[in-house]
Amino acid sequence: MSILIRRSNLMVPVTNAKFVKEAWRHGADAITLDLEDGVVPALKVRARDLVKDAVAAAGKCAAEVFVRVNKEFLAADIDASVWPGLSGIMLPKVESPEDVIEASEVLNSAERNRGIEPGKLHLIVLLESARAVFRMREIIAASDRVSQVGLDESDLAASLRISSLAEHDPFVYARGRVCIEATAAGVQPIGVAHPLGTLPRLLPEEDMLKTATDSKNLGFKGIICPHPSWISSVNTAFTPTESEVDFYTQVREVFAQAIAAGTAAVPFAGRMIDVPVDEWAKVVMATSTACRLRDAEKQAARDAA
Amino acid sequence: MADHLGVHRSGLTMPVVTPRFIDNAWRRGCDFINMDLEDSVPQHLKGYARTLIKGAIANVTKGGAEAFTRINHDLILADLEGIIWPGLSKVNYPKAEYAEEIQTLDRIISRLERERGIRPGTVEIGANIETSVGVANAYDIAAASPRVREFGGAGGYDMSRDLGVEMFVGFDQFVYGKGEVELAARALGLEPHTAPFTANTTGSVGDPDRAFREAEAARKCGFRVGGGLHPNVVEPQIKGFTPTEEEVEEAHKVLDEYRELEVFGKTWAETDGQIIDRYEAARARKLLDWSAACAVRDQEKAEAVARVEQAGE
Repeated sequence: MSILIRRSNLMVPVTNAKFVKEAWRHGADAITLDLEDGVVPALKVRARDLVKDAVAAAGKCAAEVFVRVNKEFLAADIDASVWPGLSGIMLPKVESPEDVIEASEVLNSAERNRGIEPGKLHLIVLLESARAVFRMREIIAASDRVSQVGLDESDLAASLRISSLAEHDPFVYARGRVCIEATAAGVQPIGVAHPLGTLPRLLPEEDMLKTATDSKNLGFKGIICPHPSWISSVNTAFTPTESEVDFYTQVREVFAQAIAAGTAAVPFAGRMIDVPVDEWAKVVMATSTACRLRDAEKQAARDAA
Repeated sequence: MADHLGVHRSGLTMPVVTPRFIDNAWRRGCDFINMDLEDSVPQHLKGYARTLIKGAIANVTKGGAEAFTRINHDLILADLEGIIWPGLSKVNYPKAEYAEEIQTLDRIISRLERERGIRPGTVEIGANIETSVGVANAYDIAAASPRVREFGGAGGYDMSRDLGVEMFVGFDQFVYGKGEVELAARALGLEPHTAPFTANTTGSVGDPDRAFREAEAARKCGFRVGGGLHPNVVEPQIKGFTPTEEEVEEAHKVLDEYRELEVFGKTWAETDGQIIDRYEAARARKLLDWSAACAVRDQEKAEAVARVEQAGE
């Protein structure tokens, strides 16, 4: 079972030289260089020239590197982004499957021109409107390149003309739908539990950890981090804890004994352990292993640097 | 569904290969017993397990419970051949994902009903939604056969594994999926089988207080179908899903007052802070129908148990 581990994805405006230079230090699994909302219109063209070096700088400690492009400058932005070290493109404001197909076709030719293995570059799709939420099934299925899909909740709020309040979660449905539709399509849903999706702000580490854990338990596989302070909590929340691994190790042992004794339903720690619990135990342990490998890979790159 | 008001407030799912569960099942007071061939039966006993169903049907139903069987997602034909015998009311099909699966089940069941002298259409199909693909296709699955009369799921361990979420957290991680399956069921006039969220942070399957709270909350949200794994939850579920005497009395009062309104040509009134109108009257009628169906069911079970006890003495 191969599991994509892309828990934290740090968003950095490519025009902020200091942020770009420091981005690798925070331990994110991925770093996204922003050409879109993080870059003022006057700098859009100049920003493209910065991408090639920024990709190399961001990726030097084994983070995957993405570029968030402008929908209206799709071809030029992608052309400026496809360099060795790039893992893919973050595609904002996707409204239709055609948007995804178009980006995928631009990537086809960019890969060809730059000698990159065809189909290697991923798409992270962002849904930001009611239309996008409504059509997400077709959008997600539009290209095999799509590896993650998320809601941009602040833009979605604007699209729906909602003023977000911390007390009310306006996106129970949209978030649930992303998790179901993405999982059904074999794509990772990414996102953050209310209210951080619409009200990005700094939280004490403990609260951030709780919010990130809630996000995991909604079905998300990672969080786009607007600030480096989120990263360590996010990585922790999406990594099975030691006590979970211990518990599910025991579950597997107890279940194996039960099978040997002729039943696949056995009480343990007040719960009833049967096949799906054992299957879930396998997932937790495989995820734990995959996270450990990913962390070791990043650590090795860091030690080398 | 008009002439069929299933009463499935409580039921125990149990591995058919464990004789002490099966032999005591009739004593539990359940509305149904769900004999499991799937997740509680080890792989090496699958073939043996399905041979037990025919003999177990009479055993588990003698206290008045209906007999259900949960089959394996990947062993449809062999399981159905083994289990469709007179006395079986329902086949529960786990991890339903596509309408075609349900149509296949329907075809096989129809043939077996014919071959084995069972009235056509007797055996229900429980299309259990336990994966995100199942949620995504919920409406098509529910609409795939008239044998699907209750429809739901979208929670539980399989769903949690599919979504990669822990089971016992302090919020409803399945709220969207549950909403989707309920919507599909309601749109098709089926009985939705789901429940509102009641936190369970320990993972206990045998807590009677919690079972009662959950069943009561479910009934108040318009759900009527229960079921569990532990004998401790049977009675609390029956109690929680059955209207109370006060509610029945209140419903009669609403209907009496509504009839009076009609006499005077009025459409609504307010008494003691409660609105009486045709919506409230319809709600009251529905509650009384359900209450009557529960009472009939309870009497059937009591009589069945009395017969067994008499025969035993």
